[in-house]
Amino acid sequence: MNSLHTILKLFLSTNQRMMWGGVALAIATALAGAALLGLSGWFITATAIAGASTATALAFDVFAPSAGIRFLALARTFSRYGERITTHDATLRILAELRERLFRGWAVAGGAADLAKRPARLLFRLTLDIDALDSVYLRVLVPIFAALAMAMATGIAFGLVTPLFGLAVTTFLIVAGLAIPLFAARAALKPSRRRAHGLEILRSRVIELVSGKTEWIMAGQLGDQQRRILSAESYLSQADDALNRIETRANMGFGIASAALLSGTLVAVALLAQSGFIGAPVAALCLLLAFAAIEPFSALSRGAIELGKTLLAARRIAPRLEANNVEPVQVTASHAQPVRLENVSVRHPGAAAPALHSVSMQIAPGERVAFIGPSGAGKSTFLGLLAGENVAQSGIVISPSATLLTQRTELFLDTLRDNLLLADPDATDADLLEALAAAGLHDDVKALPEGLATQLGEGGHGLSGGQARRLALARVFLRGTPLWLLDEPTEALDSATARDVLRRLLSQAGNRAIVIATHIRREAEIADRLVVLEQGAIAADLRRGAPGFDEALNRLRAD
Amino acid sequence: MAGTASIPLARTANDASAAKLQPTTIAGTADRHSALPQTQNTDRLGQFGAISQVLASLIWIGQAALLSYSVGVIAAGGAVQPIIWCAVGVLVLGILRSILDASGARMTFRCARSVLTSSRQLALAALAGTSPLDTSRASSGVAASTLAEQSEALVPYLSRFRSVRLRVTIVPLVILCVVFVWSWVAALVLFIAAPLIPVFMALIGWRAKAASEAHLVELGSMNAFLLDRLRGLATIRTLGAVDLTAKRLRQDAESLRKRTMAVLRIAFLSSAVLELFAALGVAMVAVYVGFHLLGQLPFGAWGQKLSLSEGLFILLLAPAFFEPLRELSTVWHDRASGEAAVAALDNLSKKGKSLPGADTSDDKSVRAAVSVRIKGLSFRHAGQEATVLDGFDLDVAPGEHVAVVAPSGAGKSTLIALIAGLALPDAGEICIDGERLTTSSASRLRRHMGWIGQHPHILAGTMQSNVRLGRPNIAQLEITEALRLAGLADAAAKRDSAPIGENGLGLSGGEASRLALARIAARNNTGLILADEPTAHLDSQTASNITDSLLALADGRTLIVATHDPALAARMDRIVRLTGAA
Repeated sequence: MNSLHTILKLFLSTNQRMMWGGVALAIATALAGAALLGLSGWFITATAIAGASTATALAFDVFAPSAGIRFLALARTFSRYGERITTHDATLRILAELRERLFRGWAVAGGAADLAKRPARLLFRLTLDIDALDSVYLRVLVPIFAALAMAMATGIAFGLVTPLFGLAVTTFLIVAGLAIPLFAARAALKPSRRRAHGLEILRSRVIELVSGKTEWIMAGQLGDQQRRILSAESYLSQADDALNRIETRANMGFGIASAALLSGTLVAVALLAQSGFIGAPVAALCLLLAFAAIEPFSALSRGAIELGKTLLAARRIAPRLEANNVEPVQVTASHAQPVRLENVSVRHPGAAAPALHSVSMQIAPGERVAFIGPSGAGKSTFLGLLAGENVAQSGIVISPSATLLTQRTELFLDTLRDNLLLADPDATDADLLEALAAAGLHDDVKALPEGLATQLGEGGHGLSGGQARRLALARVFLRGTPLWLLDEPTEALDSATARDVLRRLLSQAGNRAIVIATHIRREAEIADRLVVLEQGAIAADLRRGAPGFDEALNRLRAD
Repeated sequence: MAGTASIPLARTANDASAAKLQPTTIAGTADRHSALPQTQNTDRLGQFGAISQVLASLIWIGQAALLSYSVGVIAAGGAVQPIIWCAVGVLVLGILRSILDASGARMTFRCARSVLTSSRQLALAALAGTSPLDTSRASSGVAASTLAEQSEALVPYLSRFRSVRLRVTIVPLVILCVVFVWSWVAALVLFIAAPLIPVFMALIGWRAKAASEAHLVELGSMNAFLLDRLRGLATIRTLGAVDLTAKRLRQDAESLRKRTMAVLRIAFLSSAVLELFAALGVAMVAVYVGFHLLGQLPFGAWGQKLSLSEGLFILLLAPAFFEPLRELSTVWHDRASGEAAVAALDNLSKKGKSLPGADTSDDKSVRAAVSVRIKGLSFRHAGQEATVLDGFDLDVAPGEHVAVVAPSGAGKSTLIALIAGLALPDAGEICIDGERLTTSSASRLRRHMGWIGQHPHILAGTMQSNVRLGRPNIAQLEITEALRLAGLADAAAKRDSAPIGENGLGLSGGEASRLALARIAARNNTGLILADEPTAHLDSQTASNITDSLLALADGRTLIVATHDPALAARMDRIVRLTGAA
């Protein structure tokens, strides 16, 4: 419930006036609809009685009620239109805010590592969760207020006839109108969780079928994997069926409650009319009001069915909204400053062994250091530490501000220009082209029909591996930080391209310090110092010319 | 539930795409899902359901008659007794109506849901039946979102839309007839108000459609944007672009909101017009009946004057006349998203290069090393000009270890895939152990092949389940032995039952390759091992270890390796150079 509170707080803080405006319009719509029916019933009954004799017929004021009917018909239409516009606009505003807040919630140290550990399934779930939250306002808050207002208004109208009658009707409406959705929401909790689960399983099994197809075929398991997908589908089908049953039953419950209210009201008005409390026109008015009164409640059933999903989404999203957005203070020195580590240990959450264990070392300004060692030795962790991505559990880390070239090239679904501007929002096109030239990509970009405005696909799709790596490098060049951290900068490039990239890198580096994590010889060769990591500890620290330096270099993969 | 109260909020911001689906003409509601797999039984179930919902709607006529009769009795100062009976009738009819409506809804749902199941089945079969060499095949992401989320739109389309369409054709007509019996003027009012509705909806729909098509693409990309940026979070942070990206995200969401609202305004306007006509129709009927009862509009009731009960009866029927029309407008977007789902599923089922050989289960018969004989092999990727292989010949003796070396793009991987029977060559033939590889023999021949690719696909699961790959007839002991042979015994013991992440997260490249070796080692019926660049992307030490393991595993078996790793190639019995046909 706490998490729902966080979400509601966000909802109410973003656009209070609009949110309540939407609620007010929804109430107006519901009331105008009921009043239209009630007034029409009263009008017909009253005219019939007045029309019985010519004298009363002439005296009857037809214009006020018929104008009222027309007014209500128009008012209902307009308030309905306004309600829809307002509530949807408010919801979209909230979702926009939510996305921004979520992004900031994730963009803290370690956030990237957290996300990388999530399978795509969970990442995908995040977007479903965001979408699920829109029903909080549209399908729960707005209908509840409209329904309650309707119950009150009907109660007051009936109460004017006799207070007891009004009280009974309001009580009935609230008890039946809220009990049915509540029961439905409770019953739907389990199947809606199953449904979400089933859909995720179906999704991930289809992904496994397609991306591991060759493996399945060669193992003779393609048919079995298909059967596994179909069994997920049948699980999903059962959950869907259960949810549909609950929703249908809730609707049936509303139908029966409505019939009971209608027939109860009929008996009541008959008795009241017989004892002379009311006339036929009021009886007709009451009947038609009773007829319209339950409708706003039935709008709640959809929100009730989805409530389980919504609560789950709120529980998963709320922690990120509450996340502390304040970045840890990074030592940002404009002047070059050495990197200093003293007894630093890093342990990734959930890992048995520390990724770095009591590491102490210094890197002087302008130094070129290559970290080598088997995969899993802690090279990437070390770069992450200096980049502020990983947090040391113990020890002291002092590092100038640094720019990291991640092992996997990370480009974005955006134009080439915007991909570069991330590094320096104030850069001009000339600056960008200069950086591209430095990365050896100038001619490639010039050859593109749209140049810098070329749209890249997801993850930079549309560029070759080499081009993508160069683009990522050009982005690093745009950053003026005194330290560059490069994680396997030329992996997956062919030898000639790789050497070209490394040459350009050196010429751009100037007096910056460079730290490279690598297992390829050509990358390590540009360093003046090799640090060998083994199981999270420094096994050797060799400077060029020292004994062992060339041997260490020769042990690396040639190309 | 009839009544002018309110249409349940069917549209959310999320399916704001609703807007795109405005009607063009009402005639457009004709069935367009004939391509859907639908058995006669389920179809009948759906029809029964729709009919019982029509009956439920018509029961209101009876309830309205009882109610208006009762008011007549009250006005006449009659006894309470008959009214009590009427009240009982209203209740009983109401319950009956709810039950009919609910059972109808259940039937149409079950029918629609079973169509979804068979549609998924069909698309899946098509998906599985395409060759991995078919470059035009759907990506895993597209396949997953089509099969999982998008296809769900079939259910509301088939269950709600179809049943509402039947109601629209029957209920208003019946009510019109009933009203006509009492008053031709009231019937005329309804008659005039009704056909205007589709006309207005069509007019507005045209505009909305154009406006929405442009914006729809971006609606879906909102989530894609967030995910895309989250995937590159480390880079965004290191570039100091967190604030920039967050603001951009907000800006995009805001501009999307504005565009969405522009479309929604038009869409809601069409609903508003419809509701206005419905409300005015009801109001006009009410006002006519009122004036008629007063004696000021003495015509329209077949020369007589309506009684109070009759007038009230007509009034109560008026909203029910418009109700199905309004329902139609709320389910209209179900139709468009349903049709989009049908199209997406069709697209997935489109036949590309098909996979030769139906899938048969594993067998355990031991097979010795086999020979491979390739003659005049040619292959060209669909939609590409250049042939990858052109008249290629190769003879591999049983137990021979051969390296196929070529620059990238020269067709090494294609050759390996063709030998594995993942696609049929355009010309030439491949004989495995003297038997020609064809559609009918492919599956059987594959059973004796082992495969190791450049990036072995790792399932989310334990190390053991990754070795098993779903094959049921491999004993636990054999898996343990296979892990040992592949040099993964320690790693597996350390992990125990801890799962390996999706995409092999938590495994190094070397471990992933070893896992592929273990998959082969788990079966002793392999006579031919095919390896496609098994050591690319591995550091030299790991590559050499993997080579050792591969050679150990291939002892006494035939081995064909596609590689550009000179160290690996040097350890084979023979090196074949592909020059590239192009």
